Amino acid sequence: MLEIRNVVASYGSVVALKDISFTAEIGKITTVIGANGAGKSTLLRLISGLEVATSGAIHWQGESLLGKSPESIVRMGVAHVPEGHAVIAPLTVAENIEMGALFRARSNKDDVKLAIGEVYELFPRLEERKNQLAGTLSGGERQMLAISRALVSRPSLLLLDEPSLGLAPLVVEQIIETIKALCISTGLTVLLVEQNANTALSVADHGVLLSIGSVVADQPAPLMRADSALRSAYLGY
Amino acid sequence: MNTLITTLFLGTTRGAVFALVALGLVLVWRGAGIVNFAQMGQAMFSTYVASTLIIKGYGYWFAFLIALAVGAILGAIVDLAVMRPLTRRSHAGVLASDSMRATVPVIASLGILGVLQSLAGMIWAAEERGFPTPVSDVAVKPFGKTAPFTKFDLFIIVVVALTLVVTTLFFKKTGMGLAMRATALNPEVARLSGIRISRVRTLSWAISGVASSLAGLLITPSANLSPNTLDLILIVGFTAAVVGGLDSLPGSVVGGFILGLLIAVINVYVSPDDVFLALLVFLLLVLILKPGGLFASKKVRNV
Repeated sequence: MLEIRNVVASYGSVVALKDISFTAEIGKITTVIGANGAGKSTLLRLISGLEVATSGAIHWQGESLLGKSPESIVRMGVAHVPEGHAVIAPLTVAENIEMGALFRARSNKDDVKLAIGEVYELFPRLEERKNQLAGTLSGGERQMLAISRALVSRPSLLLLDEPSLGLAPLVVEQIIETIKALCISTGLTVLLVEQNANTALSVADHGVLLSIGSVVADQPAPLMRADSALRSAYLGY
Repeated sequence: MNTLITTLFLGTTRGAVFALVALGLVLVWRGAGIVNFAQMGQAMFSTYVASTLIIKGYGYWFAFLIALAVGAILGAIVDLAVMRPLTRRSHAGVLASDSMRATVPVIASLGILGVLQSLAGMIWAAEERGFPTPVSDVAVKPFGKTAPFTKFDLFIIVVVALTLVVTTLFFKKTGMGLAMRATALNPEVARLSGIRISRVRTLSWAISGVASSLAGLLITPSANLSPNTLDLILIVGFTAAVVGGLDSLPGSVVGGFILGLLIAVINVYVSPDDVFLALLVFLLLVLILKPGGLFASKKVRNV
């Protein structure tokens, strides 16, 4: 279980997160939705260690994450796919994927090979393009690559930041379905941050709604999806 | 005709050394975002160590390897003892703005250069020394004719070529090479992939130290060794790195060779006095026509 307790974070004098608490169940997709500037990305950056919280606690499977470096947090099974299809453009597709498994390349050689084979099976288009530079890929392929880079680290918790950003609806659906299937088949836990609330809630098990740094709703996704008052107040549709 | 060939050979051997210097600079620039002005100070120091060993009667190759090791260690020490504490986040108060954070380490590298030069002066009494070559440095004479190069010239070219091949293989074929490239290109994604970027950076400093020490060992036989001899080499090496595009490894190497040839040609056909003027003009031309350098890595736009 991912446990976020009373987390406060700020950028300089601006408070980005004011006392956030919620939990995400193992093997489930929990989505964090909310408008631009609600603090969604900050939350993921705190969990993966890229930012430091002012106060509060974050635990993954009982182990505290706050204060640890991103390099150590990856080794605890938490993989973060940051916003904007974060791949390294001047490296090839294969190199981008290999990079995600470098830290365990020596200790776990066989499993790394297996994991790389699995992501190619998941996204065959990446295998076709494995010797191309990542910068030459389409937006959707880059997002697949960024996710693959995270998956080869064999995470137990996957943090996805706005995977739908700038992608065609069909591609978004394909990516989201793949993630959903992965959750069911491998017990992967996913924390999905989305601005596109409708898509996110349709696939998620649980929803957390953030507004200007606070949790305003925390309930099963289908319930949240059906709540028209909530939708019109915070999501604008 | 013979003069031209001699000039080209001289240019190539010098260019090979400049290429090493530029390579060292680019490694640290890409890895840590710092222009390391102390680099040839480190090289001077390790060359003095080699020279002292040779004077004490040890063999050239032993001294050669020790100097490279000293270069690596000095590079790592500069990073661990000075650069890492300076760029640490908790010092945000002193280094509040991004521009300060980028400038302070460069100033610090100038400080390190000063310290190393004074130290060398204190330890080795600032005496000018010659430095031996492992092979003959008089012109080769195959079939009784005088060739336009010496065995030592060939030695330099072979050593530098080997270094470049090994470096390329390291970056392209090994996991650590991939980690270094990833760290240079996108530290955040590298960290999220589990790459320990501060270790990778220290390694960049160490490898850069080896490259510049090698440059020191290869150039001092023709320049004499004193605490300041390598300053000019740094200036030319830095120009080569900028000409090649400061963030491109192949660019730095090509830049080194171009400058070596340019200097040799000016030296022989114009006048030794005009070398630095020519360098300046060439640098300005490159910066005006291709501001990013000849080999600036292409930025792929994020859509």
